[in-house]
Amino acid sequence: MAVPVLRRTVMNETTQFRVLDFDCPTCASTVERALSNVDGVQDVEVHYATGRVEIEYDDDVADPDAFARAIENQGYTPQAT
Amino acid sequence: MNKQTITQYYRNNRKAIVTASSGLLYGGGWSLGHLTSFDAASAGILILAAIIGGYDIAKTAYYEVTNRTLGIKTLVTLAAIGAIVIGEYWEAAAVVFLFSLGSYLEGRTMRKTRTALQELLEMTPDTATVHRDGELQEVPARDVEEGEVVVVKPGGKIPVDGTVIDGESAVNQAPVTGESAPVHKADGDDVYAGTVNQEGALEIQTTGAGSDTTLERIIRRVERAQEAQSPTESLIDRFTKYYTPAVIVLAIGAYVVTQNAILSLTLLVIGCPGALVIGPPVSIVSAIGNAARSGVLMKGGEHLERAGKIDLVAFDKTGTLTKGETTVADIEGIGVADDEVLSLAATAEKKSEHHLADAIVDAAREQPTAATDGGTTAPLADGTDAGRQSVPDPDDFDVVAGKGVIAHANGHEIVVGNRALLADCDIDVPSRIADYVRERERHGETVVYVALDGDIIGAIALRDGLRESAPGVVAALQNAGIETVMLTGDNERTAAAVAEEVGIDEYRAELLPEDKQTVIEAYQADGHVVAMVGDGINDAPSLATADIGIAMGAAGTDTAIEAADMALMADDLEHIPYAVTLSKATRWNVLENVGLAVLTVTILLAGVLTSYVTLAAGMLVHEASVLAVILNGMRLLRY
Repeated sequence: MAVPVLRRTVMNETTQFRVLDFDCPTCASTVERALSNVDGVQDVEVHYATGRVEIEYDDDVADPDAFARAIENQGYTPQAT
Repeated sequence: MNKQTITQYYRNNRKAIVTASSGLLYGGGWSLGHLTSFDAASAGILILAAIIGGYDIAKTAYYEVTNRTLGIKTLVTLAAIGAIVIGEYWEAAAVVFLFSLGSYLEGRTMRKTRTALQELLEMTPDTATVHRDGELQEVPARDVEEGEVVVVKPGGKIPVDGTVIDGESAVNQAPVTGESAPVHKADGDDVYAGTVNQEGALEIQTTGAGSDTTLERIIRRVERAQEAQSPTESLIDRFTKYYTPAVIVLAIGAYVVTQNAILSLTLLVIGCPGALVIGPPVSIVSAIGNAARSGVLMKGGEHLERAGKIDLVAFDKTGTLTKGETTVADIEGIGVADDEVLSLAATAEKKSEHHLADAIVDAAREQPTAATDGGTTAPLADGTDAGRQSVPDPDDFDVVAGKGVIAHANGHEIVVGNRALLADCDIDVPSRIADYVRERERHGETVVYVALDGDIIGAIALRDGLRESAPGVVAALQNAGIETVMLTGDNERTAAAVAEEVGIDEYRAELLPEDKQTVIEAYQADGHVVAMVGDGINDAPSLATADIGIAMGAAGTDTAIEAADMALMADDLEHIPYAVTLSKATRWNVLENVGLAVLTVTILLAGVLTSYVTLAAGMLVHEASVLAVILNGMRLLRY
């Protein structure tokens, strides 16, 4: 049986960082806001307690290097996972 | 040191450097002001200390304000600026320095919580030795393809999930399942990435590599569990939405009434509910991380807080308290040879999928060959081991749920089942068989009757050995003040014997699967918080009914995890007392942290309103309380 091929017009990529030096819960939410303002970012999750940052972005628009810069600009150190 | 390494060093240690500089300037400024009369110089240095220490804080505060969130950094910035404006340079520098120091220490300690799971991932080796292109190649473990064969030397770590296709060894599975004893692995057994091959070389056919291994999946689940908000956390979150703005209103109100700027600035500083917000998540993340390292997967803070209230643990019997490996222990024929009884029973049960049926059919196949006329010595065509007896197929058979089977073979009717089935078929039990059955059941065995054409020809006693860990687990729970109950479909006498052997408080026998749910509901109606332990597949409904469902053997199947609130990776009970007491400790820990935070704020508030506490002292106590709740929560990492 032939399997129909589904094509999506937008393919979202997901990437993760770990930030070990969050020092308050609000800091995590400011990083979340900062990341969601980066071009092409569709969805961001930042967790204070685990330090996990998950970014869903549109591959055609977003520049993945900008994510780490956005985190650094807020004064935190992103680590690739 | 060249410029690049200096820049790198500064970047990595920025917080420490900033805090230290601000602290030194603060100390210098303070000494200058107190020991000499260079007041202007002292003020200048103190302002510099506030600016250096406060730059990053103010920057984040700016982001907080532009993002319309109200965080502690905004409050601290306002307080520091306010203090400078009214000429209290010492207070400004002290607040900034103490806050930087506090955040630096908080970041440092939280790092330990955040890396607890990372250590688990580092168990997996980076490279794998794989059969590729007709030779052995060393490749990155992530690049091993499904189906490729990996070779692991004795003492080596297993780099992929897979199935053993050659070799035999003992494997230490502690990193994945938390089992303390190594597990014997041979052909056909599954092994997990991150576990350690201790004895012989193994050839493993890969089923998953890289991020598609059991360990990685567990860690992803554990992280999601850590991030899920517990009811306490959501409550605090809702509370702080109103609390922080209320503090600002209070600070303004206090200034209007008292005209005391220091008082209202101090209110701003102590008003941030730092310890209240940080405490509970740290407790829960630490507890879930700790549990993961022992092979216990907690679904989330909500489940953990509920598990902390458990006061009754119900165990399914077969496969939970017992090993789930039923074997024929004894056969009693009446007027018929014992092996004839077994052969006939095996024929009747051959197509049944019940675990008792499997045991009877297996026993019939293992019988010495010469004994019966029912079998042949030739190996079976369906691939059964040579030298085993064949068991003939029945002509037809009916399974009577919860009772047994009625089958026909060679024109005879064979009934194999429990007393209820005999009653249904109007078959009388001779007193010799009745005595035999009573005796075997008193030893914890399950007995099935065998009848041929309406007359009992014998009975078969089956035994399912207890897990070695079962009595110890039950005793440990009892020591922790928790009631224990066994639920089983077995008859009263067998259940009583097993219950006594395990030392369990109570048992409920002759339960149909749906009865187990009713029993759990009845305990809940009596005010118990009930945990149910089972395999997660057959027991899924009762696991769901219980307040906390605990599934065993979850490393192998995702279904088990789905049905449960808590899952034990190992197919063993060993960690249940630990999981239950850890949950209790976590619940207390969360309460301690909330209590400590509320108490600190209350005392500070009273101190501020009576002018005993000023800016710097308020900041010091506030930061100390935050560190205290973090350190208290982190105790659970070492529980």
